[in-house]
Amino acid sequence: MARVTIDPVTRIEGHLRVEVEVDNGVIKDAWVSGGLYRGMETVLLGRAPADAFYVAQRICGVCPISHGHASTMGSEAAMGIKIPNNARIIRNIIEGAEALHSHILWFYTLTALDYVDVVSALSANIADTYALAEAAGTSTADFGAIQKRLKGFVEGGQLSIFTNGYWGHPAMKLSPELNLIAVAHYLEALEMQSEAAAIIAVMGGKFPHFMTSLPGGTVWIPTEQKLDDIYFRWQKVSNWINGAMIPDTIAIAAQYLPLAGYGKGVGNYLAWGVYDDKSMDPTKRAMPRGMLMGGLTLTQPDPAKIKEYIDHSWYESGDGLNPSVGETKAKFDAYSTDAKYSWVKAPRYDDKPVEVGPLSRMLVAYVAGDPDVKGLVDFTLAALGKAAGAAGPLPVTALQSLLGRVGARNLEAAFVAKKMGAWITELIDAVKGGDSTYFVDKSGEGEGAGLWEAPRGALGHWVGVKGGKISSYQVVTPSTWDCSPRDKNNVRGPMEEALVGTPIADPTKPLEALRIVHSFDP
Amino acid sequence: MSHEGHYREAHPLIFVVTHWINLVCMIGLAFTGFYIHYPFFAGFMYGARAIHFLLMFVIIINLACRIILAFWVKTANQLGTRETDIDLKNWLPQKENKYQFMETVKYYTFFRNTRVISAKYGALQKIAYLATPIITLFMAYTGFALYTPAHSWAIWPFFAAGVSFFGGAMGIRIAHYFGMWVVILFTMVHAYLAAIDGFKPLWGLIFLWRETPGDEH
Amino acid sequence: MAQEARAEFTELLAARGVSRRDFLKYCGSVAALLGMSEMYAPQIAAAVGKLQPALWMAHGLCTGCTESMAQVDNPDVPTVVLDLLSVNYWETVMAAAGTQAEDNVAATVAAGGYVLIVEGSVMLGENGNVLRIGGKPGIEELKTVAAKAAAVIAVGSCAVDGGWVAGAPNIANATGVSKFLKDSGINVPVINLPTCPVNPEWVVAMLVDVLLMGELADGSILKKLDDMGRPKLIFGSTIHDNCPRRGHFENGEFVVFGSPTQAADEAAGWCLYQMGCKGPTTQTNCPLVRWNHRSSWCVEAGSPCIGCGNANPITGGPGNWFDASAPFLTRHADVRLPGIGGVQPSTIGAVVGGVAAVGLVAHGLGSAAKGRVKGVPTETQKVHDAKMASKGGDK
Repeated sequence: MARVTIDPVTRIEGHLRVEVEVDNGVIKDAWVSGGLYRGMETVLLGRAPADAFYVAQRICGVCPISHGHASTMGSEAAMGIKIPNNARIIRNIIEGAEALHSHILWFYTLTALDYVDVVSALSANIADTYALAEAAGTSTADFGAIQKRLKGFVEGGQLSIFTNGYWGHPAMKLSPELNLIAVAHYLEALEMQSEAAAIIAVMGGKFPHFMTSLPGGTVWIPTEQKLDDIYFRWQKVSNWINGAMIPDTIAIAAQYLPLAGYGKGVGNYLAWGVYDDKSMDPTKRAMPRGMLMGGLTLTQPDPAKIKEYIDHSWYESGDGLNPSVGETKAKFDAYSTDAKYSWVKAPRYDDKPVEVGPLSRMLVAYVAGDPDVKGLVDFTLAALGKAAGAAGPLPVTALQSLLGRVGARNLEAAFVAKKMGAWITELIDAVKGGDSTYFVDKSGEGEGAGLWEAPRGALGHWVGVKGGKISSYQVVTPSTWDCSPRDKNNVRGPMEEALVGTPIADPTKPLEALRIVHSFDP
Repeated sequence: MSHEGHYREAHPLIFVVTHWINLVCMIGLAFTGFYIHYPFFAGFMYGARAIHFLLMFVIIINLACRIILAFWVKTANQLGTRETDIDLKNWLPQKENKYQFMETVKYYTFFRNTRVISAKYGALQKIAYLATPIITLFMAYTGFALYTPAHSWAIWPFFAAGVSFFGGAMGIRIAHYFGMWVVILFTMVHAYLAAIDGFKPLWGLIFLWRETPGDEH
Repeated sequence: MAQEARAEFTELLAARGVSRRDFLKYCGSVAALLGMSEMYAPQIAAAVGKLQPALWMAHGLCTGCTESMAQVDNPDVPTVVLDLLSVNYWETVMAAAGTQAEDNVAATVAAGGYVLIVEGSVMLGENGNVLRIGGKPGIEELKTVAAKAAAVIAVGSCAVDGGWVAGAPNIANATGVSKFLKDSGINVPVINLPTCPVNPEWVVAMLVDVLLMGELADGSILKKLDDMGRPKLIFGSTIHDNCPRRGHFENGEFVVFGSPTQAADEAAGWCLYQMGCKGPTTQTNCPLVRWNHRSSWCVEAGSPCIGCGNANPITGGPGNWFDASAPFLTRHADVRLPGIGGVQPSTIGAVVGGVAAVGLVAHGLGSAAKGRVKGVPTETQKVHDAKMASKGGDK
């Protein structure tokens, strides 16, 4: 048995430490430690609900839109506000733009280097690269020029952010040509994610951290010029997702089919749902609310069944409380994987660990029978079945794996891109129809929850409002679910569980473990 | 009601004028100040700011004149007399006022029932009137410090010190705002005491320069 | 000097068969993630000498500043500068992880002469354990890394003074880089770039100054900073003074959220002052530089400025933008009173004024009850004089 520690885990948002026990080249046990506590829930107490909207976004600079929306929805629920229809559509578009931005950035900038060997791209044959790109149906670039500059770069000897990467690792499986295509798209992705972010900037002032979805609706008012602006930016990003990201995903996945054999994790999935439709019913959201516990049977989650445990987290009180009455009192003693080892609490649903994220959403939507999601998933499973030389498509359960978690997220990008086009049209029609209500000025008292989805998974803000001020505030982020430590029953969190069973070829370069960690986008 | 005579020597005409100017400026500054703080009706921001600035200069110049005049103009040195002294002496607390301070406090808190012998102004009054130029200058200072074109002035560091003392641009605004409340409180107490100590003769003299003879004369 | 350097760079590219236009087009947003740009480094390294090493360290952060850096697209000067930079550590984008990543830091620190970029608050709570990096409190690594740095750039309000994390009650005890280094006795020039997140254009502008213009080496960079270590050119005037909606402010035309004319007024670009806009108390050039490759900025999108650029690196916590400007939709920030919490100055004013009015009425009633209204006899002798006389002393 060998203890392997990855600290810091890089290419994530925030601070994370992962310890795994490796035996005979396979991970036998794992501990995931969140390294940062800032106290957002405390700083918001006594503030105005609008302040919470603005500041709660700062929980996460990668998914601020979702935190902003969850916060504002929590306050609205507490104060009994029903937002105007225009505000609903506008929030959907902003939320969708963040998802596109986030999925592109996550796959290419944060995750791709686990699968793409930048150095290997040097030996690609340019003609073969073009042929491969055409066969894979993915977009081409000036591959020759890119390779030439890569050569110059590597020969220069200074690798900058590529210094000490796991280049030449035996788990890297792509051909030099596919590596080169991926590197070219790695570069294009930077432009595309920022184009998606610019949609948020137009509608929200800036990204990260937007300004307009205040409790009561939105203060962004569409004009023809602004609608044009977001429409064309959306079109550009959408075309690229369908023309490069999806074909890339299938081409790369075909080379990593064994990754469908491990990394399943706890097998429980939760999605609060995201993108409201006119009814504002969470089960009718474009990405619907739902839960899969153990199998693929859809149930509706009951927020009252959530409890947060702190048996292995550095907090001194509030064990086993529902977030609506939760407490956050920090107290560090020592780091020990046998006792306390994380700043992350351990939320459990019905005392069971639950995975959240794009995979959870896609599975819920698939089981719920969404035609777009079904189409995307079935098409991909068929393509991979063919690549595997199987008689038919891969089974849906293949999604419950490392490969499935990565692939599901990219497929969701295509789904959201399609929906966004419809929402922009819906907004244009609403504005043309003469609806000029965007905001209701109303205050009230009570308690509420904003149960929503960040690109990386289910997100809840539990908000109490009293006398115009925040009286209680608790957040359960996607990473709290996925990166949670053990609970009172010593049951591992979803990421810890997914790490178990992962093969490790070289314990000094635990690339496969990083892949699992990155697949959750912690 | 007091029985002393209220003669013009107490408030020579020029001081009736400066008092009027102060009153008009303070009402104007408070109103426009509130408007600039929160524009409760539309369309007046430019005007409010312009008037606020204008009145600020007027009240500062008026203050300067009032201080200079205090060295030259003679005013009554006691209640109900036509005997005069240099105004500065009547304005600033004097050594002999010292022992009357607590007695005045006792009088206003109902711990004694006879009025306290005082100069033109009582001991408390002198302190309050000494504070008025200070609060006026404080308001001018904080006002300039939150006025952003001042950032490019050569003497900006003089104001910047205040900004950092009050913890930034928001702090200096709040200080200016509270300063206005101090002025409002002063005015309330000032007007109240003047009213209970003889509304008709006192207000008649300071606003209309009208004399009221005393009982014993 | 900048122009000379730029011309020189263009020549270098030309010598390698790359037109400047091609280069810039190609770099595009790639340059955004500083390190990526080194992919082209060898093309210019030979002529410009050693690449400027840099470390981008993550402390009490949300990663928003790194995200923001990814949104830079202006390839002109930025590309030139970024290609002179070698980022050996940047958690969010670097390939290496774990020990390999820590090795990168160690090697860079050993070599010295690097620019240290810090993102996020300095976390002091629980003896520094509220942020753990590499199995130790994060502040330990910060001390080591800062001590050998040629200069520090604190990006984002959190790094400048703790930001919202330092907001009352500052439960995790956050502070800013300047304050922390000063308290730790580490004397390194610190350039502070507040706002939440940092505007990437400013980081790029600073790197131009530090690297290309050589202003760090000759110390002239420090003359461009104000007393808070912020570049005067960027943080020298208020948002209000440069705001496109300023005309409507002067006209007294204001948007009111929830009013029947809100949509029309907002579409007409009326002023957000009445909604608590902190433009008048916030000094940044956001209206000019804008955000996300100049596509918009907060006020243009219809929200009042929330003053995220307010930060006080000297106090390192008090004066953070959350406490300096919240509640954001009111004109004034709350004043925090012990035992009560945040209270609006107008409430305090009204309460004090009301109490005074009630007091005066009570005093008036008391005076009437005592019969003072009808006139009060004046004492015939001062109490003090009477005392003196009875003691036999005179004068």
